[in-house]
Amino acid sequence: MRRHPWLALTAGFGGLLLLMAAAQLGALFMIDNLRDSGTQVQRRFLERSRTLEQIRSSIYLSGTVARDSLLAPAASASSQLAEVNRLHQQTDEALEKYQKSIEPEEAAAFANLRSEIEAYWRVLDRTFAWSDTERMEYRYQFFYSELIPRRTNMLQIADRVGQLNEQALLRGDQQFSGRFEQLRLGLIGMTVLTLIGGLTLAVNTSVLILRLQKEVHARLNENIEAKTSLRELSAKLVRAQEEERRALSRELHDEAGQSFSAILLEAENLLDEPHRDSVRPHLESIRGMAERGLAAARNLALLLRPSMLDDFGLVPALNWQARELAKRTGLRVQVSAAELSASLPEEHKTCIYRVVQEALNNVAKHAQASTAQVTLALRNEGLIDLTVQDDGSGFDAARVRGLGLLGMEERVHHLGGEFMIDSQPGLGTRLKVTLPFADLAAINGMHDTNTDFAGRRS
Amino acid sequence: MGCMTPIRILLADDHNLLRDGLRLLLERQPGFVVVAEAGDGREALRLAEEHCPDVAVMDIAMPLLNGIDATKRIVDACAPTSVIILSMHHDESYIVRALNAGARGYLLKDSLKADLIGAVKAVSQGHSYFSPQIRALLQEDYFREMSDKHKTDSFELLTAREREILQLAAEGKSNKDVAQLLNLSQYTVETHRAHILQKLNLHTVPELILYAVRKGIIH
Repeated sequence: MRRHPWLALTAGFGGLLLLMAAAQLGALFMIDNLRDSGTQVQRRFLERSRTLEQIRSSIYLSGTVARDSLLAPAASASSQLAEVNRLHQQTDEALEKYQKSIEPEEAAAFANLRSEIEAYWRVLDRTFAWSDTERMEYRYQFFYSELIPRRTNMLQIADRVGQLNEQALLRGDQQFSGRFEQLRLGLIGMTVLTLIGGLTLAVNTSVLILRLQKEVHARLNENIEAKTSLRELSAKLVRAQEEERRALSRELHDEAGQSFSAILLEAENLLDEPHRDSVRPHLESIRGMAERGLAAARNLALLLRPSMLDDFGLVPALNWQARELAKRTGLRVQVSAAELSASLPEEHKTCIYRVVQEALNNVAKHAQASTAQVTLALRNEGLIDLTVQDDGSGFDAARVRGLGLLGMEERVHHLGGEFMIDSQPGLGTRLKVTLPFADLAAINGMHDTNTDFAGRRS
Repeated sequence: MGCMTPIRILLADDHNLLRDGLRLLLERQPGFVVVAEAGDGREALRLAEEHCPDVAVMDIAMPLLNGIDATKRIVDACAPTSVIILSMHHDESYIVRALNAGARGYLLKDSLKADLIGAVKAVSQGHSYFSPQIRALLQEDYFREMSDKHKTDSFELLTAREREILQLAAEGKSNKDVAQLLNLSQYTVETHRAHILQKLNLHTVPELILYAVRKGIIH
């Protein structure tokens, strides 16, 4: 269920739908069945009633024919015999027919009727075999004491059979209502079953959905936590990197640089003394290497972290950067930061410096600009606005997002600031950063740009 | 002038090897005497107060008290001492800071051998001295700034007499010296000086010196 919720859901919903369909089909089938059996019972009843009626009328008719033949002169006897035989045969056929659909309850009565009828035919047949004298002699006696009672008896039995047939109809009716009751119960059962199934499914689905929701929520929280810790980590990394750079820069400057200076001076002092010609080129080579080493140590130190940033603060460092870039690339950079003091919090200082550095490098590398303007201003609400604007080719800010831009954005966001780039191809680029600054009083007290010189080692 | 009396020098650098090299270089020069050596800023200040040397050669990066702050206090404590700053930094910020602290010379550690002797001589006579690279750098910056901002050169606003006084002032001459040299009254010199600062939009002597270096008026 946990691994395949869709499987459980398919099984649940499918099962419920199948159950409902089966219940509908079953009910339809049973209703059809019921209707069929009802019609059948009625049809059989009617048919049997008709057959019975036929038997009854045949017997009645045969009695009439027999009476007519007994009363009539002898000449007409043979045609009446044929009529009686036809009736006999008709009755037999009707009896056979009735026999086929006989119910166990009427079996005894029907057998009785049948034997009575057989006997009746036999008696009747005998009268046709009589001579005229026998006929004259016995006919009235036969008519009243034999024919009439037998016929009455037979008709009575037929009536009983008819009653039994009616009872069969009644039984059929009862059976019908019994089966109807069964159908009703079946339908109720199905409904209850469907309800239970649906309820189970609903409960399970709800539980599943709730659990999924909880899981999603937990994942979301995890995600947020991971993101937060990632951001903290990246901020820590940035801080650590900056610290490392500062230490390396200082070490390079103070130790490596001083040593190269000393070697340089030593070599120059030695060059002043009289030497054999073979030593001189070596000393000159040492001097050259020391000069290059000194320049390399200084450049590397500045590249890592310019000492002005720690010694004089942000604005002198930005000015230095602008001058360096102008020297290196010919890009004119104007820095205006008149009312800003240099003793911003360390992190803000570094952040602004690095953002400007990255932005100006981008301008020099990609923008084909001739001037860039760096503006640093303080807003009353305790915000620092930084803008770097160039008159270069611009770019599609919505699409292009290099690693450098992401790094800047990350730095700014970590200090709770906003980072915006406004650029379109052909219209230059404007980078805007807003940093919140909590201690407004501290800034207001800093309008004097003369900061204390922070000694490299003091 | 006073060729008979040697120039007394205080040497302050925390890097022993470099300091030894510097002393060797200075002591070879006739008329130079290294009277004291310091390994940190506080020691430099103490020794300067004790010896009151003609010239103090100071590293910027020193433990306990950095070279710039030490310079300020040495200049306060012992007015005749001229300070030369030794530095690895090419940047203007450091030069301005050194001049504001009262230094008269600013040398890069790349070219000590070539510049140090000349620098010591120059500052001991009351002049300023900057490494040639520094001068070139400042002049380059100045020209770029001029062309960037399409400014008219304010130097054109100065009269011939004012330019003369600007150079002498930037070389470290006092108003009295200038007045003597040009055969003017001290009051006239002061008025000229005020005009110069106003026309060039400058406020302090270090700014004036820096301006003169940038314009190539002094070395």
